[in-house]
Amino acid sequence: MLEEYGQILIATAIAWILFVTIDVFWRLPEKGGVSGADAIGSAIAKHGGDQHGGWMIGNIVSSPDASAGTLLAACGFFVAGIPGGIAAAALVYAGNRICHDSGYAGTSGALIATFVIAGCMQIGFGASDFIVGTVIAILTIQGISHPHASRILGRLWRWRA
Amino acid sequence: MESLIAASICLIIAVYCAIRAVLERETLLKLPFVNVMNFGIAGLIVLILPHPLTLVAAAAYFVGSTLEANAIASAYARREQP
Repeated sequence: MLEEYGQILIATAIAWILFVTIDVFWRLPEKGGVSGADAIGSAIAKHGGDQHGGWMIGNIVSSPDASAGTLLAACGFFVAGIPGGIAAAALVYAGNRICHDSGYAGTSGALIATFVIAGCMQIGFGASDFIVGTVIAILTIQGISHPHASRILGRLWRWRA
Repeated sequence: MESLIAASICLIIAVYCAIRAVLERETLLKLPFVNVMNFGIAGLIVLILPHPLTLVAAAAYFVGSTLEANAIASAYARREQP
């Protein structure tokens, strides 16, 4: 039982690093991709957050990004192994186009996550650890404190830019 | 149900974020909480019912709710800046 909690914590850390890296690589914090993402970023900045981090939070809300890709890849892997992860990537690609997002953060996130999860399965992790790990990781960014999360994301963005 | 612990953590996070979304006063700042709730529910759907078709259901739910959040945010942004 304790072992499963430890696995979930490690899976959370892996998922967090994975999708934040991919999102920052695809320049999500650069600007609000759609007008809604822009407005959410400005609202977070108005409440004491960082503008670039706010835009990234807005972009995550407005379109399936790498975090959604990681979650759906973990779900796909849980039900059908590697083919399930690739099917999830195809579904995220369709979702990106439906949401007027021309980027590839979600699709590449799902594909990379599929292979990361496949690797972690070899050392004893379960795909369900990654489903709950991604949910906890997104909770730390979007669900606890927007000003603090946006400042961390803004710092990562300035480091990359 | 294979992993009761994982499913209950997803459920607790979804309920927590639903409560935070209700308590948050500004409409635009409710949306990130609703987004976390959608993550939790999409994960929960697959954990409760492990079947290939469930993946399609979870993805459809997730993409649909993201599109709704997108529509609410952009409609709200347009209303604020005519």
